[in-house]
Amino acid sequence: MPARRIELMLCTGTGCVAGGALRIKEALEAELARHGLPDEVSVVPTGCNGFCGQGPLLVVLPDQIFYGWLKTDDIPFLVQEHFLKGRPVQRLMFMPPEKKERIPLLGDIPFFKKQMLLVLRNKGVIDPEKIEDYIARDGYVALEKVLTTLTPFDVIEEITRSGLRGRGGAGFPTGVKWKVCRSEKKIPKYIIGNCDEGDPGAYMDRSLLESDPHSLVEGITIAAYAIGASQGFVYVRTEYPLAIQRLRGAIIQANEYGLLGERILGSNFSFNLEIREGSGAFVCGEETSLIHSIEGGSPEPRQRPPFPAQVGLWGCPTVINNVETLANVPQIISRGADWFAGIGTETSKGTKIFSLVGKINNTGLIEVPMGITLREIINDIGGGIPGGKQLKAVQTGGPSGGCIPNSHIDLPIDYESLKEVGSMMGSGGMIVMDEDTCMVDVSKFFVQFTNDESCGKCSACRDGSDALLEVLTRITEGEGREGDVEFLEELGAAVKDASMCGLGTTLPNPVLTTIRYFRDEYDAHIKEKRCPAKVCKSLTAYWIDPKLCQACLICMRECPGQSIYGEKNIIHVIDQGKCTKCGVCFDVCPPNFDAVKKLSGVPVPSVERGIKVERKKRGKPEQEQVHA
Amino acid sequence: MAKLTLDELRQKRAEAQKGIYLREGEFRGKIIVHMGTCGIAAGARSIVAAFLEELEHSGMKDIQVTTSGCAGLCSKEPMATVEMRNSPPVKYGELTPEKARKIFKDHVVGGAAAAEYALGIGSERGA
Amino acid sequence: MPSETKQNGRVGAALVVGGGIGGMQAALDLAGGGIKVYLADSKASIGGVMAQLDKTFPTNDCAMCTMAPRLVEIGRHKDIEILTLSDVERIEGRPGNFTVTISRRPRFVDESKCTGCGTCVANCPTQTRVQPVEVPAAEIEPSLRVKVANIIARHKNRQGPLMPILQEVNAALNYFPEAVLKYISQETGYPFTHVYRIATFYSAFSVVPRGKYVINVCMGTTCYVRGSERLMDRFAETLKIRPEETTPDMLVTLKGVRCIGCCGLAPAVMVGDSVYGRLTVKEVAGIAKKYAGGNNHGKVNAG
Repeated sequence: MPARRIELMLCTGTGCVAGGALRIKEALEAELARHGLPDEVSVVPTGCNGFCGQGPLLVVLPDQIFYGWLKTDDIPFLVQEHFLKGRPVQRLMFMPPEKKERIPLLGDIPFFKKQMLLVLRNKGVIDPEKIEDYIARDGYVALEKVLTTLTPFDVIEEITRSGLRGRGGAGFPTGVKWKVCRSEKKIPKYIIGNCDEGDPGAYMDRSLLESDPHSLVEGITIAAYAIGASQGFVYVRTEYPLAIQRLRGAIIQANEYGLLGERILGSNFSFNLEIREGSGAFVCGEETSLIHSIEGGSPEPRQRPPFPAQVGLWGCPTVINNVETLANVPQIISRGADWFAGIGTETSKGTKIFSLVGKINNTGLIEVPMGITLREIINDIGGGIPGGKQLKAVQTGGPSGGCIPNSHIDLPIDYESLKEVGSMMGSGGMIVMDEDTCMVDVSKFFVQFTNDESCGKCSACRDGSDALLEVLTRITEGEGREGDVEFLEELGAAVKDASMCGLGTTLPNPVLTTIRYFRDEYDAHIKEKRCPAKVCKSLTAYWIDPKLCQACLICMRECPGQSIYGEKNIIHVIDQGKCTKCGVCFDVCPPNFDAVKKLSGVPVPSVERGIKVERKKRGKPEQEQVHA
Repeated sequence: MAKLTLDELRQKRAEAQKGIYLREGEFRGKIIVHMGTCGIAAGARSIVAAFLEELEHSGMKDIQVTTSGCAGLCSKEPMATVEMRNSPPVKYGELTPEKARKIFKDHVVGGAAAAEYALGIGSERGA
Repeated sequence: MPSETKQNGRVGAALVVGGGIGGMQAALDLAGGGIKVYLADSKASIGGVMAQLDKTFPTNDCAMCTMAPRLVEIGRHKDIEILTLSDVERIEGRPGNFTVTISRRPRFVDESKCTGCGTCVANCPTQTRVQPVEVPAAEIEPSLRVKVANIIARHKNRQGPLMPILQEVNAALNYFPEAVLKYISQETGYPFTHVYRIATFYSAFSVVPRGKYVINVCMGTTCYVRGSERLMDRFAETLKIRPEETTPDMLVTLKGVRCIGCCGLAPAVMVGDSVYGRLTVKEVAGIAKKYAGGNNHGKVNAG
């Protein structure tokens, strides 16, 4: 391979591809060719870099310069200035919110600074479609070590000692699971990598497969060796076409190299790995349901015990691990259990990947050591809340988790502490909510989700979620009654007790935690018929403040229902009878007028039609300060 | 592709590591070729190519070849600065690919500045 | 089965149809009030659905613990007569005095002698075998048959072939015509009910035809808190269809989907391979028109 002076690590994760990364790649290659640079400068497509909010993005190595929000139009200038003449381009660098100065170096950007990359150590550094890149970064060293020096029991012992726990959410000790399966007499045994990542707002597993598929292949092979399986499956949801494509490529390469298949690396160990796709059913993330789905049966969970480690796929002992758990394995083997156990808290070891999304400045994927506080994640890594708004809550654990209020911002994140506040680790979605988020509406959203995805096998989950949803809908529509909250609490507890699988036992969590921490919002909805965040449609009205309206006609033109009355120079008035509350007027009103208001819990003041607007200069209303 | 044995895998790894050394971030030295418009006009591109070629032959993995803007001494272009760790940077001027190769051998590999081409030792910033 | 004693035009017997938990309790209450009760059920035994449950909602009580005392009491009650394997044929008369005709199917067991020992069940040679039903061969268009047969042939010998087959067929046809599901059932040996169940369980599958373009409005949490519900409303309004419906010209299907993983671009909408990110309500109509084409016969105008 010829020596190069610059490598351009271009993120080609799903988010950036959706944002146009492939067009950027073409433009870069064309522009480099035009300057005769392809021998010196190469473009390396990588998996998800993590800083998805900045996509499409590029990291220039070895200088470590970070460019975000790229457009194809920027490319000719960028190539000419930086890659030819060596002058980094200021205006494409990262601009932290509310700060004036741009940050050129990747390592100086706060988003990356506090992260600790173990599982994602290869993200943005390797081309995920090249096995050589992975091998160069000490890939398959762990597999070598396992096959040459360790017995299966040594491997299980090492994993147990490291304190690794399942990253799918529940946090079951991985070593114990392997041990149970290993000690079963029945053969064959199976290993399954669970990448049916259904939680809305979570995409860690997808990103892992997109950026470093070989770490999963290596991890699952080691796991298979430990439990004595010769056949494995990775179950990926169908919504992740790119992840499936990269994993498929990785499996083919590994087979070619003899790192999968018969007699791996000349040893006596053989292992075959296959991909199985889901077809869009949230419940298939549950392990027994996932097994049924692979078998082609009806994908409903079943009662445990027996656990899959005893009776699983086709009735055989089967270990199901989340793909993030498996991707930790090679690191633990090659660097040792003690090293791993030294990271994190007393009960939760290692790191966890979160997808930090919602009302946050730096949206993206982060890997942090267990025990980091929410404050560090939100303020330091996430860069705070946009628009100077207040943090209201953080939702973790997806539809099974709960909302952690602002007051718990110093909570150290680990399995136990999250459980204590009524939430859970979950697969790692972390959705930040600001003061404009209605907590009743959010809990309705999650119950709607689980209600939709409930497989319907047990009545507690099926009918219980129906009943919860009915009451929550009633509350958000202003029909809430005294006693509704108590009913939700009682019913929530019953659904928790009586459901069979994880979906049902956790579905009341969002409701119960929002009641626990945001009881006042429920009360406002029920007693005052007011939505404090002004989200619930039935409780909110749009109203144009006659003192602020500049009669600019914009909202009138955009209103899809023609429910705004007004004309040039005549103040606009919303016809409350016709308004469908779509909110377009609120969005389009120029920010310096800010005349459209949302009202909740108060009567809408009536405004006479035909009032003339007061202003000094006509035609350029935006330069005026009518209301100082 | 034949299936690998353990030794072949290790060999493959050593080979592959050469391919990605730019990403590892640990460098013993840095060769900066000044590529302002003046530099490019004077032939800096061929200097870069020469350095890269030498680097490839040497198989060294801890040397970085990079470019920067005009160094300000346009009459002496093409120019390059060689910065080795723990020794002051050396600026070379009026380079040709042959001179570049010699500088690489003497300074980068050998560790002694190629005094005959050197314009000055130390940084103008006074470091 | 008319009753004999007449009093003020009314007769002193009642018929309870259905021997589930409700019917059983009704029979017991009536009999407790001194009325002769006939308890009819079309099954071979009373007990109904509850007899099949483990626990009941919401109290998590054991189903059998609720039922067993009632079963025993009914069995022993002198005023309750159980009519199993019975269907109500006809009811004549008026409320309070009517005649019911009931037909009973044969049990092939002399109930007066049977002790319920269960030996016959254990020794029955066709014990759990379902009696074969004549299933007519699936009628399927020849061109479709070739397509589907190829897919089936590729996967038939794998372990757990049904999902991969359905996934490929769904990708090829965009939905499952009933004939195709029947054909798959016939070729793979899975019962049609099972194939149908799987085909309707997953959200990626459909048994009704879908539009040429599917507008997927992301309803993941991030998109939701950033206002995707308002986008959905606007799409529905513009296209004049509800979510999960297709326009009459079969061009556009509107669909709410689970997280498409573009949280950095929230709120986002995905159509085919194109993702529209950071959308506002204002931009929706343009996108809708681009695919629905308005009235200009599918012509695509830039959004």
